[in-house]
Amino acid sequence: MSTVSSVKNLRLKFPGNDSLLFKDFSISFQQGEKVLLLGPSGSGKSTLLQVLAGLIPQSIDVPLKADQLTIPESWGFLFQDPDTQFCMPYVDEEIAFVLENVKIPPGHMNDIIVYYLHQVGLELDSIHTRIQTLSGGMKQRLAIASILALQPEVLFLDEPTALLDPEGTSQVWNTIKDIGKEKTVIIVEHKIDEVIDYVDRIVLFNAQGELLGDGPKDVIFQQYKQTLYKQGVWYPGIWDDYLQDSHPSKPVISNPRETPVLSLENFSGYRGKNKKVFVDDTKIYSGEWIAVLGENGAGKTTLLHSLMDLIKTSGAYYVFGKNKKKIKRLSDFVSFVFQNPELQFVTNSVYEELAYTLRILEWDAGTIDHRVGHLLQLFNLDTYKAQHPYQLSMGQKRRLSVAVALAQNQPILLLDEPTFGQDAVNTFAILEELERLRKEGTTIVMATHDWQIVRNFASRCWHIENGRLTKEDAAIECTNIYPSHILQ
Amino acid sequence: MLWEFSYKKTWLHKINPSFKLAIVFLLCIQVLFIHNLNFIINYMLAVLILYLFFTGHPSMRLLLISVPFIILFLTSSTSMIFFGKGEETWFEWGLIHVTEESFFRGIHIGVRGLIFAVLGVVFALTTRPVYLFYSLMQQLKLRPKYAYSFLAAVQLIPIMVEEMQNRRSALKVRGVQYRKGFSGFIDKFRLYSIPLLSQSIRRAHRLAVAMEAKSFQGAANRTFYYKMGFSWLDIVLLLYFIISISASYFLAIYFPYFPATDVRFG
Repeated sequence: MSTVSSVKNLRLKFPGNDSLLFKDFSISFQQGEKVLLLGPSGSGKSTLLQVLAGLIPQSIDVPLKADQLTIPESWGFLFQDPDTQFCMPYVDEEIAFVLENVKIPPGHMNDIIVYYLHQVGLELDSIHTRIQTLSGGMKQRLAIASILALQPEVLFLDEPTALLDPEGTSQVWNTIKDIGKEKTVIIVEHKIDEVIDYVDRIVLFNAQGELLGDGPKDVIFQQYKQTLYKQGVWYPGIWDDYLQDSHPSKPVISNPRETPVLSLENFSGYRGKNKKVFVDDTKIYSGEWIAVLGENGAGKTTLLHSLMDLIKTSGAYYVFGKNKKKIKRLSDFVSFVFQNPELQFVTNSVYEELAYTLRILEWDAGTIDHRVGHLLQLFNLDTYKAQHPYQLSMGQKRRLSVAVALAQNQPILLLDEPTFGQDAVNTFAILEELERLRKEGTTIVMATHDWQIVRNFASRCWHIENGRLTKEDAAIECTNIYPSHILQ
Repeated sequence: MLWEFSYKKTWLHKINPSFKLAIVFLLCIQVLFIHNLNFIINYMLAVLILYLFFTGHPSMRLLLISVPFIILFLTSSTSMIFFGKGEETWFEWGLIHVTEESFFRGIHIGVRGLIFAVLGVVFALTTRPVYLFYSLMQQLKLRPKYAYSFLAAVQLIPIMVEEMQNRRSALKVRGVQYRKGFSGFIDKFRLYSIPLLSQSIRRAHRLAVAMEAKSFQGAANRTFYYKMGFSWLDIVLLLYFIISISASYFLAIYFPYFPATDVRFG
């Protein structure tokens, strides 16, 4: 076997950071290997991938030094965000763009486009379909098709499913498994359930970007289980280990004698003129943890948006017995975590982000500093407090978005998949903090796909079908009846 | 959200985009040299026929698009009519002084503005950006580096609109309250403009990296998925303008409806 990609004594530093991200780091990859780079978020895995592909320093200007750097002759790079990969509006035009780059004669293009689309399992009515009409999973498969047009021997995959739902995630991984048989595949991914069977080698990093372990997957999982657990990296069976260590108490089911925290009657949410969600009649009580479940596009996010009053609504909506229409600032009662953490941010530094709402509320400076310091500590963000929120890694952004929502301690928390794409340690940290708040009486409404969360933390499930709240169950029951594409 | 309107393809859509662009450009220059009110009104009718019947877009949409034109026409012509110089006074009230000369010149300016606008919109409504840039690369040798940069930028527009809505939600969630009146406007401007701009730059950078990762080098030697050529329809468009403009001219000479054959003053 021959080495297709390697780097020797890599040193790399991001401008503005004090410490080196990699210090004399060496690694090499053999032809045909399937490798998973594993480590806590912010450990520089994505950066390493970009170095190996030559994107750093060619396209992204980051100073680096290496004694030797072998970049594969042909490679394809799959990025995280499905929306900023395409420069053309239509599916066929996007693949054609790549074919033009490698100077394929126009006469052959149509057949090649059809061929690659078939390979990634995108069976569209017409190859001339608008990219915007595709779902996230389909977009990522289109991105794979256009990479295949480069006929790459190495595939670099940088968390390609971080922004996808479970259905899209498995579509994308199935496609990669199909097309990657002969190729060298180097993967960065937090949601390892889908990839673990596919890879044969695992490279393990710690939070400082140092190499902890490198070897066959079974060896790594056996020898480094403690390390994985401590570093907070997902591995098969981590939930069992976690539940053994800490026993989250199952929340009680609602107590109808109190006044409801939130009550809805004949409540609808609209996008434009169309009624998108509808709730007939429901009440939520203090200290409940409601899991909002449903298929993709069923309206979970829309329902949360209407509860936050981000879209037009009609019907009765009472918060602590007070009509929502009479509440001047709903955000005094309700806090919200967006599905995409970047949506949460309104300032230029992590610290400011956490202090922002508190400043609006005119807390005094000392109290703000104390509160922010506490949150920074709790969510492991202390080292990054001067950074711009957008400069954080995906996992750190997610943590910050949750921390931001908790800053003001509102009695109601709405969360749209807050643990999505998060590494284990942070998932548990977020869940534990939510659980602590819930015990103190905070009410949580959370859209999720993770059945472990539903089973171990939620008190009740709402089932959303075609925008309607059709069923409410105690959480124990609902994990048994939902099909696997809704709960992972 | 879908960022494209449905429309029927007409012969105007099939014309070579570079050729169409050149014609529109030349017509706009030619209009600057028309001083005969009758001629320019006939000219406008010739252009309006294309707008009303051959863009392939539904009439409701055409009507909606024409609202700003009409406003443009009214504002540009009335200011000249009310305040322009002239000797044959029709009406006078304070600062307002309407004369025969200023009236005709006002109409003339309004019509000229209308022709510019309608030509531009006809072009925009009947030309896909992708075809335009492929044609510019093939016929006018535009460097692919620039062409694809523009095309990529077009992809970012709908994302920016979404971004704006997201920003509004984020600020609401965070409990932002704006001051009243003009200070409120300043607040909003501050809270929206910089983040939207920086987000766009980040996205543009990401997209550029993705394009380079697909081995785009911006070099001129590449193949093209769409071959943009010429057809007999290009000649049809050329003939349409030659005939309609000539007709406008002779009709203006032989059957004028206004006495103003030269609206220039003095």
